[in-house]
Amino acid sequence: MNSSIVISQSDGRPMYLQIMEQVRQKVAVGEWKPGETIPSIRALAVELQVSVITVKRAYLELEREGVIVTQHGKGSTVARDPDLGPRLYDQEFEDHLRQVVRIGMLLGLSEDEIAERLRAIAMQLETEAS
Amino acid sequence: MNWSMVRRLIWKDWYLNRAGILFSLTGGLVTLGLVAASRGSQIAVILGIIVVVTILIGMGAIVMASIVAERKQQTLPFVMSLPISYWEYTTAKILGSLLIFLVLWTAMLASMVATILLAPGFAHGLIPFVVIMSVEILMSTCLVITVGVATESQGWTVGAAQVGALSLNGIGWWIVRFPDIGRAMSSATVRWSSTATALLAAELAAIALMMAFTFFVQSRKKDFI
Amino acid sequence: MIEFAVEMSGVTKRYKHFTLDEIGLRLPTGSIMGFVGANGAGKSTTLRILMGLVHQDAGSVQVLGYSMPDQQAPAKVEIGFVSEDMRLYGSPTLGWHMNFVRSIYPRWDRAYADTLMRRFDLKAEQKVKGMSHGQRVKAALLLALARRPKLLVLDEPTTGLDPIARREVLGELMAVLADEERTVLFSSHNTLDVEQISDQITFIDRGRILKSSDKESFLDRWRRIRLVLPPESKLPGLPGVVNVRGSNRLPVVTTDQFEPAMVAAYQQIGVGVQSVDAMTLEEIFVASVESRREGSAL
Repeated sequence: MNSSIVISQSDGRPMYLQIMEQVRQKVAVGEWKPGETIPSIRALAVELQVSVITVKRAYLELEREGVIVTQHGKGSTVARDPDLGPRLYDQEFEDHLRQVVRIGMLLGLSEDEIAERLRAIAMQLETEAS
Repeated sequence: MNWSMVRRLIWKDWYLNRAGILFSLTGGLVTLGLVAASRGSQIAVILGIIVVVTILIGMGAIVMASIVAERKQQTLPFVMSLPISYWEYTTAKILGSLLIFLVLWTAMLASMVATILLAPGFAHGLIPFVVIMSVEILMSTCLVITVGVATESQGWTVGAAQVGALSLNGIGWWIVRFPDIGRAMSSATVRWSSTATALLAAELAAIALMMAFTFFVQSRKKDFI
Repeated sequence: MIEFAVEMSGVTKRYKHFTLDEIGLRLPTGSIMGFVGANGAGKSTTLRILMGLVHQDAGSVQVLGYSMPDQQAPAKVEIGFVSEDMRLYGSPTLGWHMNFVRSIYPRWDRAYADTLMRRFDLKAEQKVKGMSHGQRVKAALLLALARRPKLLVLDEPTTGLDPIARREVLGELMAVLADEERTVLFSSHNTLDVEQISDQITFIDRGRILKSSDKESFLDRWRRIRLVLPPESKLPGLPGVVNVRGSNRLPVVTTDQFEPAMVAAYQQIGVGVQSVDAMTLEEIFVASVESRREGSAL
């Protein structure tokens, strides 16, 4: 079962975080549906050429977050929460927003200036799309 | 002792050295055939013996190739990664070389005895001497095998081959000095004396000792690689 | 199934110019361990003792439940061993070697062998003496992998290989672990490979085991902390500090026992924490070795 997960060696973050992010994205986008079986820890490790212990850790953390469920001997599945997808997407949106605000603050921008820049970009993207 | 592994290892050595083995065997047997066909003319016999002995020494080279070469060519880790211990390895090396040698050796001994018995002009009393000297050649080869396996060194093995070849002459002369042997040589009938038996027994005991010594040395090796 | 595929304890081996000192190693079944050390640190010797090819002067070695070196013959039925100094026979072909090994090991997987030949770009009719270094390494690996061993012991399997070949070999090593009853132990001084695929990591230097732990623990516990000291103040001694570099005002602390509480601890005493950086396995290894060598020199 090909997971089509791609990880980057040059990404500075720990491998298990990358894997977690990719799994969350797949669930958020709907590629992996609630209740669907996902690759076992070993199978994913072999496919990504990453140590089993790293994948195990990612799955453990994902289970703690409620994204997946692992049953001993039966493998892992996406959690059956119907809101999971939109919730994860929302979580990711929130994470990105935090990043933006943090960088803005480092640049010395005020709250209003950050909001203003956001609005400008949103308008620009809207015109490009239409 | 895993005999199926020993067989496979012997087959492997025979296959790898097949050219040299074939050459020695055919050369030796052809020469012996010629000697037999010449119906024992003295010169042919002498030449034949010289050629055979040379080939026997060449056998020592084959022994060296199959034993010393493992370490030189760094194939020892590969062989020892197989499911064997030094028992199988040593047995295969000794048996593998010995068996090839024994083919030639038995043919040589048989044809010499046959020539003496059947061709005209040979005193049958030569036979005990011929038997003892043949076992002496066997002993020399065993020495080469022992030294080769125990030291895995080309230098030592070449030395052992030289010692074996050179001592043939000296030992030959020494044995002839025994009155029971020397006088029996010119008689028309085979006179097997107790001296002959004793000498033969000593040679066979020496061979057994060398084999035991080889296994002993191998068992003490703490760094097989 | 045995819990530990490999258990070494108190293993000592004395040579004229080198001593392997009280080596201890435990490798859980179903995992892969990277054995990291500089050249001459004792990796090869340790692996040879593990295979029963060298007899230890002291200590016990259990591999797959077999005691080494006495039970090496039955043990090696289940082990695939490839070392950097291993050579195959020059004049025969790869095909000859495959037939030879196949006749010995009942679990030889013919289909897998063919797959590996394609993947490694090898030909059965090729004579070993005509092979390049990389091809020879891959050939030896093929012979070890195709017999589906329970334990793979590899001494520097990726050394001297081009990046493509390295990736292929790492892929095959990982594929072994798809079966949770099979185990891999490989030595390397390429920390990138080790960091990527190992579950367990062991550091060895000058005949001694420095550290042996699972990879995530290593990567979690080691940090480089950049601090800003207020003027006229000294750096407090906190536990777990491996070394301190940098300048007096801007020290860089390397620690192997990082806890998030450390950051708060520093800040509480007025020391500014500029950043907390993770370290690559290479950096961790070098820091371990340096601290050990400096420590022993004192």
